[in-house]
Amino acid sequence: MLRLEATKMILSHLKDEVVISNLGPTTDELWMAGHRDRNFYTYGSMGLCSSMALGMALSTDEKIISLDGDGSLLMNMGALATIAREKPKNLIVICWDNEEWAQTGHQKTHTAFSTDLEKVASGSGIDKTVTVRDIESLEDALVQALSEDGPWYINAKIEASEEYPVMPIEPEVTLWRFRRTFTNIPMGHLTAAPEARP
Amino acid sequence: MPNWAETIAEELKKKEISLIVFVPDISIDRVTSLLESDPYFHVVAATREEEAIGIASGAFAVGRNAAVFMQSSGFGNSINAICSLCIPCRFPIPIFINLRGEVGEFNIAQVPMGRATRPILDVLNIPFYTLDTDHNLDKTVGGALKLCYSSREPVALCMTPLLHGGKLA
Repeated sequence: MLRLEATKMILSHLKDEVVISNLGPTTDELWMAGHRDRNFYTYGSMGLCSSMALGMALSTDEKIISLDGDGSLLMNMGALATIAREKPKNLIVICWDNEEWAQTGHQKTHTAFSTDLEKVASGSGIDKTVTVRDIESLEDALVQALSEDGPWYINAKIEASEEYPVMPIEPEVTLWRFRRTFTNIPMGHLTAAPEARP
Repeated sequence: MPNWAETIAEELKKKEISLIVFVPDISIDRVTSLLESDPYFHVVAATREEEAIGIASGAFAVGRNAAVFMQSSGFGNSINAICSLCIPCRFPIPIFINLRGEVGEFNIAQVPMGRATRPILDVLNIPFYTLDTDHNLDKTVGGALKLCYSSREPVALCMTPLLHGGKLA
């Protein structure tokens, strides 16, 4: 399974659901698969993709899909414990597990050895978990996760990807554009005028 | 006359900050416990302080104001999250930090990070205000929160034992 085609498949099932992407190629390939105002692209802050997704899920009823990665999740495995403790029904974590730190020279991560991130998620207390190895199985899991309460953890084993150029994403613009789809309180203001509230 | 913890809770409410993410600290337990007991707030315990920054930022991205509470040792854990997420994206996250290594500190291991906290905030160009007295606490906290949102950047509020009594050895 290649991440870009899997990302395109995921987007084909979505309307207004949020997708937040891990730094680097996951973000670039989400942009390539289809830019939407409800895509939140992260750059930097390695390990925080699913933590941000949790903060989103606790603050809106809409479905939140986190596209995380094995190297990043290994850096912040506590994120899975906090997700399990909070149990947001609207959160789906999909971890692209290529068993390597691809961006830094293809060094093997711990999942290439004995670490099983699905078991980590399950052991943390996330009840709905699955590991998928092909795009059809991922699609089945996604359709189920979109129709049932979560939180969900889907570990998606992927192959090494082609390397694409860095996409033209500005962090400040990403937040401004994304947030506008939820609130008309402008950045820099605490509250909107009463008549302007959604 | 409200106590320091009640004043902070009141100022958070005035700014519609309803999601609180914290890593526990005994000296500021009085305020985080108060927030947990108030249904206005959803209080989330994080396993690590950089995680707390991520959760609070995610909440703001969908339109909910959020603040974090941590100890100065945990501020050390959260620096890259602040630098690579809050500053480039301009997430206005108020960061309440209990300063260890202040007057009355008993644990040498807490001194270096506590002492380095405000200089690090300074080089990151993050405004910080030291809370060490009840005097003008509402104006300082309320004003710092307003600045956080108007500047669209994190602001730190550093609490000392002179405010909360500190951790007793």
